[in-house]
Amino acid sequence: MNTTIKEIDGNMVAMLEGRLDTAASPETEKAMQPLYDCENQDIIIDCANLEYISSSGLRIFLSVLKNVKPKGCHVYIRGLNDDLRQVFAMTGFINLFEFK
Amino acid sequence: MGNGVTLDPHGEALMQQYRELLPTLEQLAKEAYDLLQRALREQGIYVTAIEYRVKSERSLAGKVELKGAKYKSIDDITDLVGLRVITFYTDEVDKVAAIAKRLFDIDWQESVDKRKLHQLDAFGYNSLHYICRLKEPLSSRRPDDQTTKQPLPRFELQMRTALQHVWSTIEHDIGYKGAVRIPREYKRQFSRLAGMLELIDDEFSRLRLVLTDYRRQIQTLVKNGQLDSVPLSADTFRSYLELHPFDRLNKRIAAVNQAEIWPVSQMPFLPVLESFGMETIGDVQLFIDNNSDDAHQLALSQLAITDLDILSSSIALQYLCLVYVLKQGSGRDGLKSVYDMINGESDANGVLADQMMEQAKTLPFMSSPPMARPRGKSLTSSCNTSL
Repeated sequence: MNTTIKEIDGNMVAMLEGRLDTAASPETEKAMQPLYDCENQDIIIDCANLEYISSSGLRIFLSVLKNVKPKGCHVYIRGLNDDLRQVFAMTGFINLFEFK
Repeated sequence: MGNGVTLDPHGEALMQQYRELLPTLEQLAKEAYDLLQRALREQGIYVTAIEYRVKSERSLAGKVELKGAKYKSIDDITDLVGLRVITFYTDEVDKVAAIAKRLFDIDWQESVDKRKLHQLDAFGYNSLHYICRLKEPLSSRRPDDQTTKQPLPRFELQMRTALQHVWSTIEHDIGYKGAVRIPREYKRQFSRLAGMLELIDDEFSRLRLVLTDYRRQIQTLVKNGQLDSVPLSADTFRSYLELHPFDRLNKRIAAVNQAEIWPVSQMPFLPVLESFGMETIGDVQLFIDNNSDDAHQLALSQLAITDLDILSSSIALQYLCLVYVLKQGSGRDGLKSVYDMINGESDANGVLADQMMEQAKTLPFMSSPPMARPRGKSLTSSCNTSL
């Protein structure tokens, strides 16, 4: 699992690649820490190369949202494939995020 | 003195005292403002504006030129610092006044309630003016500062409603502009407008009281279980949610994978329920009663084959809505419309609807005839129309 954080056009972009399963979650969570410091900035989580997401992966997404939303940030999810979108839908979290 | 103002030696002395006092006045204005703003926030009083100002040298010079002889020293001028609170409602003026009494020492000799000055048949400037003094020395001063022993200047606190403020601002702008004396008939027009605004202010307060009372009655009906009498609205749905009507089904669904329930707002589902033609909270209760088992079945069919152990607290409501649409026979388009309402319109919702149709097709409720309409309402047609 690879996580890359970049600032692009004033937005913080996190690019996730691989399988975000329970084993990969602690490392991914650590890599996503810079997102927690964002204020009044858009955050884009690029999932175009994300193959799988487990509950612990969902918790990371939710935790980012919970921390940055009060600070005026929007969290967008980009490039989610149909299977992963279904995970967000069947757990009832899909309407919490904005999708690109 | 510049600006076309001519002052006598006494006036010049007052202006010199003012200049020496200016740093204190600025600190005083800021501290009084902070105190008041904090207290209003703590008491949950929302006002349209709180503002403060220190009287400018130019404005003071004009005042001193006109009535300088009236003041022995600068301390006799009570509006060097002014605070103004503009409220939404008339009764809030009195609430702000009560808070001011607690926060500041009020000089009752100098304070005036302009609302009570008018004759019964006259209307005009309505505002409550308190002349106040801070109870404590300025916090920005060091305790060993000799000036802390001197009494702080007084300041004026004006309290009025937004409509009173509009009237007085316009009246001040038009009424005092230029040297031309305003004829009696135009003064009368101002008074008539003041009377009209007083009436509107009272009506707004009365309306608020009526609505607060209505909300209380509805909450009582919800709590007493008289749900059929409660119209479905944002307010009533929010009250209903306080009874946690979806908790039981949430827990049943969560038990499938021993999942954690993550709290989220269920309010985004209100438009979906309304699109189903539900008109009362009783309809929502019936919707839960009639569809919970099938919603559990649908959730089970999706979640049991995963190890997902975190679910949103709107999961029960989501599956209830999906099952309802499927039982109504609204099919893929109905499902997509529900997803569009919850998630925002998107082609991706069509894919979710297709996946849901595929998974639901073998479930027992799908082979039952379309569901009977609750309470004789045309839910099928309203569903088909809006979905």
